[in-house]
Amino acid sequence: MTGRDRAARVHFGVLAGLALILFGFAAWLEPSFIAPATQRDLSLHAFELALLALPMTCIIVSGGIDLSVGSICALAAVVMGLLHEAGAPIWAACIAAIGAGAVTGALNGAFIAALRVHPLIVTLATMAAFRGLAEGLSRARPISGFPPEFTRLGEGYSLGLPIPILALAIISLAAGLALSRTSWGCWMYAIGSNERGARYAGLPVDRIKIALYACSGTAAALAGIVFAARRNTAKADIGSGLELEVITAVVLGGTSIFGGRGSIAGTLLGVLIIHETRELVSWHWHHDELILLVTGTILVASVLLNNLASRRAD
Amino acid sequence: MRTPPANGPDSPGIPPLALRRMLAASRRQFVTAAVLLFTLVAVSIANPAFLSGQNLRDLLVQSAPVVIVGCGMTLVILIGEIDISVGSLLGLLAALMGVLASPQRLGLPIPLVIAGVLVAGAAIGLLNGLLVTRGRVPSIIATLGMLTVLRGVTELVMGGEWITNLPPSLRWFGTGSSLGFPFSLWVAAAVAMAIFALARFAPLGIRILAIGGNPDAAAIARISVPRTKLLVFALVGLLTGVAAVIAVPQQSVIESGIGAGFELVVVTAVVVGGTSIRGGYGGVVGTILAALLLGSIRTTLVFLDLGESAVYWERAIQGAFILVAVLADHLASRPGPDDSLAGARA
Repeated sequence: MTGRDRAARVHFGVLAGLALILFGFAAWLEPSFIAPATQRDLSLHAFELALLALPMTCIIVSGGIDLSVGSICALAAVVMGLLHEAGAPIWAACIAAIGAGAVTGALNGAFIAALRVHPLIVTLATMAAFRGLAEGLSRARPISGFPPEFTRLGEGYSLGLPIPILALAIISLAAGLALSRTSWGCWMYAIGSNERGARYAGLPVDRIKIALYACSGTAAALAGIVFAARRNTAKADIGSGLELEVITAVVLGGTSIFGGRGSIAGTLLGVLIIHETRELVSWHWHHDELILLVTGTILVASVLLNNLASRRAD
Repeated sequence: MRTPPANGPDSPGIPPLALRRMLAASRRQFVTAAVLLFTLVAVSIANPAFLSGQNLRDLLVQSAPVVIVGCGMTLVILIGEIDISVGSLLGLLAALMGVLASPQRLGLPIPLVIAGVLVAGAAIGLLNGLLVTRGRVPSIIATLGMLTVLRGVTELVMGGEWITNLPPSLRWFGTGSSLGFPFSLWVAAAVAMAIFALARFAPLGIRILAIGGNPDAAAIARISVPRTKLLVFALVGLLTGVAAVIAVPQQSVIESGIGAGFELVVVTAVVVGGTSIRGGYGGVVGTILAALLLGSIRTTLVFLDLGESAVYWERAIQGAFILVAVLADHLASRPGPDDSLAGARA
């Protein structure tokens, strides 16, 4: 076992311990909070964060970053809302919006891969551009009046679980398998560890990057639509700041911001900790500002602890 | 992989990489200046009212905070790091200023208020720097964490309320004039010139460029990398304090949302101004031009009289500007072999 594997396991163990302590604390503080019915209802709030964290993990593992996901959420929701307002059937509008998400994501990928521009710059630009597009198209007004079969998508239940969470479980499994068990996943680690080496080894680096950012855009569009369904409103300010929350969850989950290291399981644990902390704080203290304080502290502290642990392991 | 000059030292061979990079940076500054000039001339022709002194003054005053923090951010990015906590820091310092100055809260004398804001800004910048150098936390992660934490502290301090009654002597820092120009413009100009001189002529500026270009080589050359980074992070914190002193009193109300998204405008200005996000080359002049350009978009949209919905496109145009800048840069120069395969490292 190499030092890196060891450090990753230590980090995963620390996170799992943190999650257990969190649940124990919650059980002591608010027994009603950890009741299955409560947890099931609250799990809906984690959907967008978790869904976006999956492709973000793959992107960061391959050495990139995507700041534009929150803006793509808004753009997709606005596209869907405007099409529905113009008389298109709701499902056609959804498919068009998801298509828009895939195209905008692929555009990110194309800029990054073909022009070899740093992903931080490209997605910083498209973060502004896509949000601006959503504001311009909708004139920043809320769009509502969706049919009930659509809003059910956001909060309906099936098999005893919320529909978005069922979908999330399937997508997470697929993403986890793709990253850890397929050659594509292997290539992502290779690109993240040493892009030049990956190119010399003949890997289709550009194609993988475009595909990754297109996946991220598609997931963002889906998240935007589900969010709009839950609120029964599509507005251009959906998902602002979401990109930073997503990156926080991914990094908390042990993915190296420099690429080459990370896992879907770690990310899901990171999402779980952030989600439960957030919900517990607003359940017990009704203080949203405390959530920010705690989330940021957990992020920095986990990386600091991780550094200390890996220094020991070396 | 540069070819040596063919016929001795005087022949025009391919310039070394460092020189090519410097030329690339100054070309981007030139392009930014040209676009800014073109925008201003075009709008002035379309609507001469744009050139009124009042309008130009408003435009400059609005851009002043981006210019001030952008100068510090240029140094941070030049050294190969990034600080995305400046927006939240601005919000926190606004809250601090309100709490210190408001007669209902502490009501301290104005010099103490300003000193407090500046010291707090520098201290939090220093904390960022310590996390990066001592804690070995990547700067984008450390400042992402600080972005979240500082916003939370701000909301705790404000407690969901607004601070409205700033003393008039404090409001003067935002709205007052001296020698015919708004005070905030004097401050912005002074900061811009100081940081320009620092980056171009002072040993610190050379050290920053050296570390950004190659931290290992800089360390071998006996440059104290951690100390320089600490200094730069503290400086950007201090400048955020300066921006808070001139920007916050412009409004009569302090609320907890001040500064949200400010970090992105500042980073955008630095990048559009031609500073490499990987560090090592770029400069303050481009950042200042780009800050003015980004600041003029909204005013331009208003004065072009495209109808009331035009201002909703402001952000789309901002984003398009960066993409066009990047695209133009790519088309104008094939990157050298050293750049083309470089890994993506923030």
